[in-house]
Amino acid sequence: METDRIEREIEIDAPQERVWEVITEGEHIGVWFGNGEPVKVDLNPGGVMIIDHGHHGTYLMSIVDVDAPRRFSFRWAAAYHDVLATPENSTLVEFTLEPAASGTRLRVTESGFDALNVPEEMRERVSIENHSAGWTEVIKRIDRHAHGEELSPLVPCE
Amino acid sequence: MNDVEDVVVALADPTRRRVLERLAGHGQATATMLARELPISRQAVVQHLAVLDAAGLVRGQRHGRERNFEVRAERLRETAAWMERLAAQWDQRLATIKRLSEGDRSR
Repeated sequence: METDRIEREIEIDAPQERVWEVITEGEHIGVWFGNGEPVKVDLNPGGVMIIDHGHHGTYLMSIVDVDAPRRFSFRWAAAYHDVLATPENSTLVEFTLEPAASGTRLRVTESGFDALNVPEEMRERVSIENHSAGWTEVIKRIDRHAHGEELSPLVPCE
Repeated sequence: MNDVEDVVVALADPTRRRVLERLAGHGQATATMLARELPISRQAVVQHLAVLDAAGLVRGQRHGRERNFEVRAERLRETAAWMERLAAQWDQRLATIKRLSEGDRSR
């Protein structure tokens, strides 16, 4: 479902290998994602990356994919501190790097908002009906209704 | 964030999204009216409306034997704004990554 994701990208005037270092080395991650202090990261699929979130606690990110210098992904349970990210409680953050005129194009997607925190039996229904619009699409449609699109009358049946 | 999570969870179910969309399309409706348009029972519609109500997405007013529901668009807009904030946070992180990458290349 396209509607359950955030997608952003940026062009960076630096070689792909350099950008890879910045997104995967604990010293740098601490600057762009943490509190400035170096972050502990076990850079392997299934490895854990620990991000200090101040008095809230820590985020225990679960690393999914490490393919230097092209792809780095991990699961992030943004609503839970001190709990390891799992497919049930987290979204998937994926960085992809590719060469660009300027040096490197870096894209990030965060996906899985539709299924976040949803119990098993519910998620099954979501996948069966995956042709239906995601919830962000519903927001757009309902906003259109709220801005005065005509409403079709309903006939009470009593 | 918890309020927003309630909204996200409430909208994760496709049938519930359809209930909400139908309700939005009609302005106001009762569970009985909605059940006539959807391939689910009135009882199922009532349950979906209860979840939507708990998440603050609809409000109901008693009308004779039934409750008349309407959509609370402000909660949906809050949720849309939350998604935009998350996207803006990623823009900030990407800008920091760019600055770090383009800055010190000596190491």
